[in-house]
Amino acid sequence: MNVKTWFADIEINEDGSVADCRPCSQDVQQLAERLLVFQADPKQIPPARFDPVQNAIECGFAAGETEYYSLLQQTCIAATRLKIKNSYSPDLRIIHAVEALDDIDEAANLLAERLGIWYGEHFPEAGMLTENLAKFVAENGLRQDLQQDSQFHEAARSSVGMEMDAEDGAIIKAFAADLTSLYERRHVIEAYIHKNMKQLAPNLDEVAGANLGARLISMAGGLQSLSRMPSSTIQVMGANQALFKHLRGKASSPKHGIIFNHPLIKNSHPKIRGKMARALASSLSIASRVDAFSGQLNPTIKEKLDRKVRSIKGGSK
Amino acid sequence: MKVKTFHEYIFTLQQGKKRFLATRNLSPGSQVYGERLVQVEQAEYRIWEPKRSKLAAMLLKKLPSPFTTTSKVLYLGSATGTTVSHVSDIVHQGVVYAVEFSPRTMRDMLPICEERPNIIPLLADASKPQSYANVVEPVDVIFQDVAQPDQASIALSNVQHFLKPGGYLLMSIKARSVDSTAKPDTVFKQQLITLLEQDNSKLELVKKQKLAPFHIDHLGVVVKKTE
Repeated sequence: MNVKTWFADIEINEDGSVADCRPCSQDVQQLAERLLVFQADPKQIPPARFDPVQNAIECGFAAGETEYYSLLQQTCIAATRLKIKNSYSPDLRIIHAVEALDDIDEAANLLAERLGIWYGEHFPEAGMLTENLAKFVAENGLRQDLQQDSQFHEAARSSVGMEMDAEDGAIIKAFAADLTSLYERRHVIEAYIHKNMKQLAPNLDEVAGANLGARLISMAGGLQSLSRMPSSTIQVMGANQALFKHLRGKASSPKHGIIFNHPLIKNSHPKIRGKMARALASSLSIASRVDAFSGQLNPTIKEKLDRKVRSIKGGSK
Repeated sequence: MKVKTFHEYIFTLQQGKKRFLATRNLSPGSQVYGERLVQVEQAEYRIWEPKRSKLAAMLLKKLPSPFTTTSKVLYLGSATGTTVSHVSDIVHQGVVYAVEFSPRTMRDMLPICEERPNIIPLLADASKPQSYANVVEPVDVIFQDVAQPDQASIALSNVQHFLKPGGYLLMSIKARSVDSTAKPDTVFKQQLITLLEQDNSKLELVKKQKLAPFHIDHLGVVVKKTE
């Protein structure tokens, strides 16, 4: 029997004794690569009670146990390093981008709310919110600094808001500028996701749209794992609370999770949302599989979904 | 603090009415995961928190420890290496083969391996023992903490491949990851049947014990391979 260990190719007799042994050199990098090749495709496995330590010493690979274990540890650490380095997939970039987007949203909402209250004390008549307000304040500052031709000039003169001086103005203006740049960063990241989704997952991008598609990848933990999910999982992903309540037997099953944000479901009548969700989820799972394993855009997925959608809508009338 | 031996190379430190489980630090001066270091008479001890380690909980719940200072151990599901580091303290003249599937957590464990000469890291899938069969030698103890739905069969396949006759399998069964809706007791029973009632598996239950209050819905199991 011919077996492979991490340090040698060994020929073993029927009775378990060693007939021939060809040890490798002690080069750790080479040994690590050999280990990974074996790990990916295990062949010629040593028999169950084979003792590699004694064998390595007898066949001259290592002088003693200490040297054996030291080489083994170095090799395994080197192999593990290599494997970790090769374990990063391109969808990781999308996942981080999507998560960064969520973080920015959270932070921006908090800051926008603060700016709304703060600037509202001073100029309640401006009547703007979030991004518009941030831009307005960053550009114009306090109400007394408004240009003559501004549409708010009149409202500013008769405002009932609190008076603020130049020092207040500088602070609030800088605060608004920070918030504006946060919104700008959000747009840049969004554009980045749109661009990369077209390359990474063209079918998912077409069926789900870049944002929802990227979010699905991020929730599944990667395109590969998304493609391995059954469509019923994709359908309720993001509705965890409702799903577990259902599994405990205390509620009916959720119709949709994160895919609710797709216009097909959001804009449909509640009565047909369940059907829509099923149809959409099955198209999404097919799309993610095509993306994960071929990567080519296949327009028939979207066409089939459209046909299914028409028949659901037709049937509901 | 007063040091008492709990079991071979596992210690308890007594401070007033409080008693802590601890191991003697193999690489003195360095912490692995922010645990407390205590210096007593020229030796440094690392406090072993049962709430953070299923093995520590198993020992405190009076499951027998099969570890000796020269044990060869196969550790399945090493995660970031917190418990592995304590095992490495205990078997300081032996070896720990630490198998972990996730590259992300393995990344955190590598620095620990570089500090301790007796940990052999293996980034591999514990349900495929063939994939590391050309590295791991026959071992005295297999410890498993993998939280997978097919825990028992993963343990079994590793036992068949690597456990010496007379060796021990220690495992912590996490009911919630086998089946999140079934009753824990039903899950435990079913997992033990998978583990023990195989033809010619030659396994014998030594002791089982729930790990509450340290870990809820976990069962600690010690099994011996008879021949």
